[in-house]
Parts: sequence; structure tokens; C-alpha cells
Amino acid sequence: MATENHGTVATTEAPGHESGGLPQLQFQHWGGQIVWLLLIFAVLYIVLSKGLLPRVSGAIDERGAKIAGDIADARRLKDEAEVQARAAAAEVAEARAKAQKTAADAKAQASAQAAERQAKEEAVLAEKLAAAEASIQAARDEAMSHVRTVAEETAGAIVEKLTGKAASAAELKTALA
Amino acid sequence: MADPMHQFQIQKVVELPTVNVFGLPIDLSITNSVAAMLLAATLVVAFYAVAARRAVVPGRLQTVGEMLYGLVDGLAESIIGHDGKKFLPFIFTLFAFVLFMNLQGMFLVFTATSQLAVTLTLGLMVILTVVAVGFAKNGLKFFKLFAPSGVPWPLYFLLVPIEILSFLIRPITLGLRLFGNMLGGHVVLKIFAGFVIALGGLGAIGWAGSLLALSSVVALTALEFMVAFLQAFVFAVLACVYINDVVHLDSH
Repeated sequence: MATENHGTVATTEAPGHESGGLPQLQFQHWGGQIVWLLLIFAVLYIVLSKGLLPRVSGAIDERGAKIAGDIADARRLKDEAEVQARAAAAEVAEARAKAQKTAADAKAQASAQAAERQAKEEAVLAEKLAAAEASIQAARDEAMSHVRTVAEETAGAIVEKLTGKAASAAELKTALA
Repeated sequence: MADPMHQFQIQKVVELPTVNVFGLPIDLSITNSVAAMLLAATLVVAFYAVAARRAVVPGRLQTVGEMLYGLVDGLAESIIGHDGKKFLPFIFTLFAFVLFMNLQGMFLVFTATSQLAVTLTLGLMVILTVVAVGFAKNGLKFFKLFAPSGVPWPLYFLLVPIEILSFLIRPITLGLRLFGNMLGGHVVLKIFAGFVIALGGLGAIGWAGSLLALSSVVALTALEFMVAFLQAFVFAVLACVYINDVVHLDSH
């Protein structure tokens, strides 16, 4: 066994003299590689499975939980904001209705006052109109009566000129009627 | 031209004593292969020591680390199902270790996964785990693995030997697939790289050939990076499939 081993050392020290064949099939190197591989793999497995991988999966889970939590928070806040928005909209609608009512009241009051004032003005004007019409009527009547007198006088004068004798007042009146 | 096989030669880095186990001499010296494995394992640990920082908003390394973890996690979950979580550390260790050894071969001079001793041992580890899990979970019903249900009984004379053979051959195919891919890729790279220099000394036509060989080397390097990742992935997938066989033996 010992001599064999010395032989392997010699071949590895002078690999250039190796003639053909896969270096992988030099079985004297297998034992060491296998033992070391098992050892390294075992240590790596323990370090990864006990130490590092739980941290990785923990980080992934934490991130997932945080994102889910943040989304839930955001959704809750959105719902709250929606409720507040609805309340605000209702308040605005109420205020608008109140404002419209106030405006309508003011308008009605103003138009009522205007109508009243207008009616008063119209009454004064109508009174003045009536007085004016009455005075015109009186003036016309007076004028017409003057016309009759003038006609009677004129007729009397014409009759006197033509006939030479004055007509009586009663005769003139009937002739002109 | 340089010997394309020289890169696979085991060389001692640190001499350590040889021990005899049951008459078998085991040379515990740290060779270039052992050093590559040590470096790969150290890099995996260093990488995840940085990547597992538990930051809510991950940096680049943490993103890559969590992506790889998520990849294997999804693999175990989709193939093995709910029980996959239990085997995740084992499968992930296999995946990360093989991946780092493969990738290390793309940057440094030695690829530990191009050593048959290494890949066969990894394959055996998977199958021994499968056998252990199979017996622990199913007891003697583990042997149902070799007798699939829903078959007319005379067929068992044919099926059982085939199933046993296909089971026994699994560690070998696992090991040989990884070994072959790594060996082939690195040999081809070495040969084409050798062409670049050999043809470069042959004048104008040689220069054209040299350029062609050089562009092949560039393309092959890209391909080898993909193969390095893919073979680690395939190794993990097959480990999942084999474990799933014994975890869900009832539906076999």
C-alpha cells in the first residue's frame, strides 16, 4: 500500500509525463476528493440550512408581509378617505341647497317690493291721467259751448243781414240744433 | 498544441498524511480539486452572508441571492409539493455548490465538477438520501417503488428488474451527465483556444482561421456559462424528481 501511494505522488509531481487517458480516472486521487467533498458538503449544508437560508426566507417572508400590510393600510386609508369625501360632498350639497334657498327668498322679496312700488307709481299716474282727462273734457265742453254761442251770434247776424229782421233766440236755437 | 487534458490533472497544493481506512489508502492532501471545492463552498457562504441581509428593499447581491433561493424553492414546491420545504436546504446546497463549482471553472483554472470522483459522489449522495427518505417515510413499502401499481401481474417479471436497474443507474447518470458536460465544454474550449495560437503562425490564411477559432471560443464561452448554470439546475431538478418518487410513493 505504502509503495503504491509513493507512486501516486510521483505521477502527480510529473503530470507532463502522463501518456493519454483521462486524468479523472487516476483512482489514487479519488479517496481524498470524496472524503473532502463529503466534509465540505456537510459543513456547507449545516451552515446554509441552520444559518443562512432561514435568513433569506425570513427576509422574503418579511417583505411579503410588509407589502401585504402596506397594501392593507393603503386600502383602509382609501376607504376612510372615501367616507370623508362622501361626507364632504353631502355637506357641500346641503350648503348649496341652503344658498339656493336664501337666494330664492331674496329674489322673491325683491320682486314683491318692486311690484308694490310699481303698483303705487301706477296708481299715482292713473290719478294724474284721470285729472288731466277731466280737465281736457271740461276745456272741450267749455270750448264747445263757446262755439254754440258764436254760431248763434253769427247765425243771428247773417239772418239779420239777409232778412233785415232779427231772429229770436229760440228760433236760432232750433235752427242750429 | 497544449494537452487539453492537462487542465484536469490533480495536483497537490498542501501535503497531508495518508490514512488507511479498511486497508484503503486515502490521501488527505489538499489538491487543486479539493481547493476548488473549498473555495466554492466558501464563496457560497460568503455570498449568502452578504445576500441574507434581511433588507426590506434588497440590493443587487441580495436580489440575486433571493432569486436563486426562489428558483430552488419554486422547484421543490412544484415538483415535491408541500413536503418540498423539508428538502429545500439539501437541494439548495446541492444546487448552489454545483453552480459555484461550475462557474468557478469559467474564471479559474480548475473545475471540480469535471472530476468524476466529485460528480459520482454527489450523485450517490442524492440517491442515498432518496433511499434514506424512502425507508424513513414508507418503511418496507419503499420497495413498492420497483413495482408500479395498475399493471397486470405477469408484467411485473419484466417491470421490476427494469425499475431496479433504472433506480441503480440514477447516481451514475447524475454523475456522468454533470461530469460529461463540464469535461466536454472545457476540452472543446481548450482545443479551439489552441487553434487560435497554432493557426496564428501560418500566415494570412492562418490568420483568418485563427480569427474564426477565436470567435468560436467567444461563442463557446457564452455557451459554457449557460451550461454551467443549466447543469446545476438539472442536477437540482433531478434530485427533486427522485426525492418526490419516494415522498409520494402512494401515487407512484
